[in-house]
Amino acid sequence: MENRIKRILLKGLLMAGLAAIVPLAAAQQGDRPLIEPDVRPQAVKEALIDTENFEVGLVTGLMKIEDFESSLFWGSKLTYHLSERFFFEANVGFAEGGKTSFEKLAGNVLILSEEEREYRYYNLNLGINVLPGRAFPTENYAFNTNFYLIGGAGATEFAGDTRFTANVGVGYQVLLNDGVAVQFTVREHLFRIDVLGEEKTSMNTEVSTGLSVFF
Amino acid sequence: MRFALCLLLIGFPLSASADWLWGSDDEPQPQVKVVKPFIEWRTGPAVGYPVFHTSEKGEWLTLQKRRTSWLKVTDHKGREGWVKVGDVLETEDGTGERVVLNQPRFDDFGSRRWEAGLLMGQFEDAASTAVYGGIAMTENLSAELWATQILGSASEIRMFNVNIVHQPFPQWQISPFMTLGAGHIFIKPKSTLAVPEDRDNSIGHAGLGVRAYVTDNYFIRAEVKDYKIFTNRATNEEALEWKIGLSVFF
Repeated sequence: MENRIKRILLKGLLMAGLAAIVPLAAAQQGDRPLIEPDVRPQAVKEALIDTENFEVGLVTGLMKIEDFESSLFWGSKLTYHLSERFFFEANVGFAEGGKTSFEKLAGNVLILSEEEREYRYYNLNLGINVLPGRAFPTENYAFNTNFYLIGGAGATEFAGDTRFTANVGVGYQVLLNDGVAVQFTVREHLFRIDVLGEEKTSMNTEVSTGLSVFF
Repeated sequence: MRFALCLLLIGFPLSASADWLWGSDDEPQPQVKVVKPFIEWRTGPAVGYPVFHTSEKGEWLTLQKRRTSWLKVTDHKGREGWVKVGDVLETEDGTGERVVLNQPRFDDFGSRRWEAGLLMGQFEDAASTAVYGGIAMTENLSAELWATQILGSASEIRMFNVNIVHQPFPQWQISPFMTLGAGHIFIKPKSTLAVPEDRDNSIGHAGLGVRAYVTDNYFIRAEVKDYKIFTNRATNEEALEWKIGLSVFF
């Protein structure tokens, strides 16, 4: 009996309590969301947002120079992203030509001096991101990727002269995070050369990998 | 785990050094409130990346950085993603005002101050590559600085020029212009030629061209220039050059 009275009284109290709380809660819900984010009354200004359309990077790999063996190659790139699809890219690269098979077989003959074997180039290119996507190396990781086509023109200094050089290539870029990327590229550099007799088109293949940072 | 560590080792010092280089600003990042029914988040700054999250009306987003026409945002739960600038333009900021951000359009093409570009073409029979930068002084007049490299079968030529550009119809999407300028030319004959002799001469030039607005902040530029090369011989030389390329304006 005592228990029952207690229960009734308690229930009464509880209901009264709830009745007092509920409208308050309802009023609160009506006015604003339950979790109010920490918002400052601040205007959005262009200057407050960092713009990262440039990308700078270092590249290294292998350069196959026609008739002059292949060598270690290194270079750098500067990219300006015009839009999500198009970008401008400037490259410089350095490699060193080896000996022609004729020089090796004939023994004491040298066609070029040491200095003339230095292979240097610059080029200016337009790139297009054709296949943006995602790569999943393991279950827990996913990276944004880009497959791009790139082509342009510039100059190559090799065998004593500077030659107009066209280049075309493809690249695969993996963005490690939103500011750092690694890339794998294969590019063909073409120029006219007449060092070994008649003039011909020299095809030079660059296979490289690089690391770049957006800024 | 090892993989993650490797990535961290590669990525972290770079992002950390970037902060060190540019300084982590104390000014808080701007925040915006979604007012349309929802905004899509993508994993990267292009429509090719998948949508992985949406923000509903009333949610607050913090703007982190911008790349081309995409903004990196975070929400109160720390999620990160990319949204289109066009979507952010339809949000409100902390003062309750519509967000205003620079989204280059054709209107800005007419009022541009700086332009820079890369053009390629032919100088007589040789391939020519040129870069330039220009500043608009009035709506019709601008001044430009050019550097050109010309690689022919007989010589390598470098050329530096200054010119004035007059465009009579700045409001046109495809706008013609006239140029007039002067500069200097350096000619280096090929080493395989019999008597190589370097030359450098002053030049004067006049040209006609066209700027064609494409989209965002870039346009196609094409031009033909006629060069007069002032030699110290009995006759002066003349050369015709055409080139086409892409330019950006700011």
